Amino acid sequence: MDHHHRVSRRAEVLANHLLRRAPPPSSPLRPRRCLGYSPPELSNPFSFDAREMRRLMDGHNLEDRDWLFSVIVQSGLFNRRERAGRVFVCPDYNQSMEQQREATMRRIGYLLERGAFRGWLTGEGPQQELRKLALHEVIGMYDHSLAVKLGVHFFLWGGAVKFLGTKRHHDKWLSATENYEMKGCFAMSELGHGSNVRGIETVTTYDSNTGEFVINTPCESGQKYWIGGAANHATHTIVFSQLNINGSNQGVHAFIAQIRDSDGNICPNIRIADCGHKTGLNGVDNGRIWFDNVRIPRENLLNSVADVSPSGEYLSAIKNADQRFAAFLAPLTSGRVTIAVSAVYISKISLAIAIRYALTRRAFSITPNGPEVLLLDYPSHQRRLLPLLAKVYAMSFAANELKMMYVKRTPESNKTIHIISSAYKATFTWNNMRTLQECREACGGQGIKAENRVGNFMGEFDVHSTFEGDNNVLMQQISKALFAEYVACQMKNKPFRGLGLEHMNKPLPVIPSQLTSSTIRSSEFQTDLFHLRERDLLRRFAEEVSGYQSHGESKESAFILGYQLAEDLGRAFSERAILKTFMGAESTLPAGSLKNVLGLLRSLYAVICVDEDAAFLRYGYLSTENAYAVRKEVPKLCAELRPHALALVSSLVFLMLF
Amino acid sequence: MAPSLNFDREQNQVLFTGNSCVKMVILNRPQKLNSLNHEMICQIKKNLELNENDPSVKLVILKGNGKAFCAGGDVVSVITSSVAGQWTYAASFYKKQLTLDHLIATYKKPMVCLINGVVMGGGAGLSMQTRFRVVTEKAVFAMPEASIGLFPDVGGNYFLSRLPGYFGEYLGLTGARLDGAEIAACGIATHFVPSVKLKSLENALQAVNCPNVSTITALIQSFAEKANAKKTALLGEAINKCFSKGTVEEIIQSLEHELQNGAEKWITNALSYMRSSCPTSLKIFLKSIRNGRVQNIDQCLYRDYNIASHFLRRTVGSDFYEGSRAKLFDKDNKPKWEPSKLELVDEEMVGQYFRNVNDEEWECLQFPDRSNSHIASRL
Repeated sequence: MDHHHRVSRRAEVLANHLLRRAPPPSSPLRPRRCLGYSPPELSNPFSFDAREMRRLMDGHNLEDRDWLFSVIVQSGLFNRRERAGRVFVCPDYNQSMEQQREATMRRIGYLLERGAFRGWLTGEGPQQELRKLALHEVIGMYDHSLAVKLGVHFFLWGGAVKFLGTKRHHDKWLSATENYEMKGCFAMSELGHGSNVRGIETVTTYDSNTGEFVINTPCESGQKYWIGGAANHATHTIVFSQLNINGSNQGVHAFIAQIRDSDGNICPNIRIADCGHKTGLNGVDNGRIWFDNVRIPRENLLNSVADVSPSGEYLSAIKNADQRFAAFLAPLTSGRVTIAVSAVYISKISLAIAIRYALTRRAFSITPNGPEVLLLDYPSHQRRLLPLLAKVYAMSFAANELKMMYVKRTPESNKTIHIISSAYKATFTWNNMRTLQECREACGGQGIKAENRVGNFMGEFDVHSTFEGDNNVLMQQISKALFAEYVACQMKNKPFRGLGLEHMNKPLPVIPSQLTSSTIRSSEFQTDLFHLRERDLLRRFAEEVSGYQSHGESKESAFILGYQLAEDLGRAFSERAILKTFMGAESTLPAGSLKNVLGLLRSLYAVICVDEDAAFLRYGYLSTENAYAVRKEVPKLCAELRPHALALVSSLVFLMLF
Repeated sequence: MAPSLNFDREQNQVLFTGNSCVKMVILNRPQKLNSLNHEMICQIKKNLELNENDPSVKLVILKGNGKAFCAGGDVVSVITSSVAGQWTYAASFYKKQLTLDHLIATYKKPMVCLINGVVMGGGAGLSMQTRFRVVTEKAVFAMPEASIGLFPDVGGNYFLSRLPGYFGEYLGLTGARLDGAEIAACGIATHFVPSVKLKSLENALQAVNCPNVSTITALIQSFAEKANAKKTALLGEAINKCFSKGTVEEIIQSLEHELQNGAEKWITNALSYMRSSCPTSLKIFLKSIRNGRVQNIDQCLYRDYNIASHFLRRTVGSDFYEGSRAKLFDKDNKPKWEPSKLELVDEEMVGQYFRNVNDEEWECLQFPDRSNSHIASRL
């Protein structure tokens, strides 16, 4: 009976459900080995001392870094989560913009309480400065917003007070800033002027009757824009403004103005608006400021380079307006240094994530019924990630050297630091964005999950290529500086000195016509090839600029027209400088496994730079055969580095893992 | 570390003003003493050509803003374009400059130069060929090129050779500075007007209704005063006696001889300049000005271009580069000339500078055919 059959069928289904009967043994679903996760450490032994490598990478203040990280993971304010016995911290990007801004301030309050910022402004000397940079780097590894919020308050506001101000400003502000008795911001950029600071429109006049400066925003394009901290929290700001004394413009100067009272109410004659939600950095309250004839005391002019007497007379120790302007931009140098370093750390984290993932995730078998292959065992996957790893190692050494130059700066070294920090800021931040994109893709779908960080980093750190100097503008300055150096040396018949250009004094390097693997890996060959490219591009660039001038172009438009070579030259300079620092660091190490693996990384850095830059073929520094030989070296080096991949990334993010 | 080269765009380096009838060309690079760069020369040339072809324009006034009229060519930018680029870039600057000088020398409309400050080298090239050359007591004239390893060019062998007696040789070989009164007295300028009256003269010139050579002459005459030259005595025998000699060595000998008759300041200055200047430059200039006496402006400028090109190309030596280094870049004032002494510079070496340049990238200077190209001297 049909009806009877349906009842018994139904009873059997129910019984199977209720009794949870196992499927028959012939079921095709079986746990496969590839789905079982085991930490990569189990199958990737370290062949060198990761602790020692970490020391080289972080460079300085290791205990301070470890201490601050432990302070961060101890608190509930940092979204601490435990997974598989390990503690992870990462900001919650799902929060609203307001919540993220509040969270940033709460984290600052906590770190302040724990003494993290002690000596950041009141401390003196390279040791204090290195500690500050180290702690700031650790904070940046946790959250970009937190690092930027602190950077604005300490490096920009505090730096301006310290470097542009005099004793009266130091006494009043430095320790107050360090203890967050007030909150500072830095109003330089305007809606109409970013990189061209000289063109800003905010104007300040002096009223000798009251002894006050009067700051005014004369038009809409003169409103201050993107001012970090201005939208919600800052109580005071540095204002960059044209100074007009008795009708004559003295150029850009810096002033202190209060914009909120201690209860957070906006001061009279100040108008503030919020810049709103952004692609990233939503924990920073960027705002817009208008000044409606705001009056500030005469003493609020930061007067280390120029002053105005009570009667209204303009006084400056630096007569040359160009030099005066350069002095006012000094606080931005520290910004470029910290951004360059921060970009390297973010690349480190994303590579650590992508490479660890590639050491656990398998895809496709290459033999029938064989096990699926680990991502990092595919040569193409190695090619995607390991050259980036080599670059980040190279850039780490370069970043450390830049920091040392910065903390030991002298008036004579300022120009060199300006050029190198510009080159590295642009190079490292561009490289970081490339690295993030590659790592995101290499993690597949997992790369876009907020918890895995890499995808979010792209939004967070994209702004690196814009703030504190647009990367393209910075790179142009390098070519200009090199041009000036070249002309001066040719003209005076003097040898090149400084900026690593000494190689220009030597005879033209000769590249062997047949390249072997061991030649390609030798530091002599790599040095020669990088030197050859730089000197030839510099000569070509100088010739091109002069050529344009000889056709009646002004010097400025000649540079603008020569942008293609300027770009090639800027790249050649940066890559050569990075390679040389890498070699310098390598040479101080004793022979051993650490030095060997660094040698491989250095060679991979060199060959990937050559492989990626068409200039070597375009201008004939390498024959097509030699270019091919160099390219063939890339997979070989990748394969040799593959066994060290885990140890190498573990050294990079040591404090997060151990 | 690199010197702080300035990369700011210099705007309005030459101003062009005036009304439909009277045009003004104003050199406006006062911080560089109005020295001429490539850009300025191109702009001036273009503007003068337009004015020449515009029938409503009757008069062009040329002057400089600031303390100088024009201190010469911008040697720094010329040398830079050569050492950073190629020597032909610098040669192309010279070609344009000499072409402009030629245009002015053969200009079909009256031009007035108002010279109220330094006029040297390339500045003289611009102004010495104009119809009216007005100087004030603030004017200073000199042709000091031999001290930077070049030679008095820009048509110097033409206009200096037409000065009375051998005064041109004196100016070119000793770099002597003349003040406003002396410039007018020796005929380098046509009129002397005190600087207080210069602005009124300028305004009056701009207000002239339908100016022509005779109305302009009369107008300037009404402002002009007699120049009281202190050194007019110089124009006399001593200079002619010494500077009429056939060789630079003989000139020096006869100056030394004069010195024994009484140490006059002009003689000691002349000797010290000639002893510190580039020996090759001095010999080249003497040969060139002697040729220039009987040649027209085209021939003189043609030769200037050949000689300048050889200097830039370092065909025979690098004295121009060395002199610029010592005077303009390092400023150590210690050039090392090669050859270092007059007696080491032989006739053959000097002769080489006068030949066409044998280089496939080089072409000799060619002037457009201009109806008044074979003008008699305006001096």
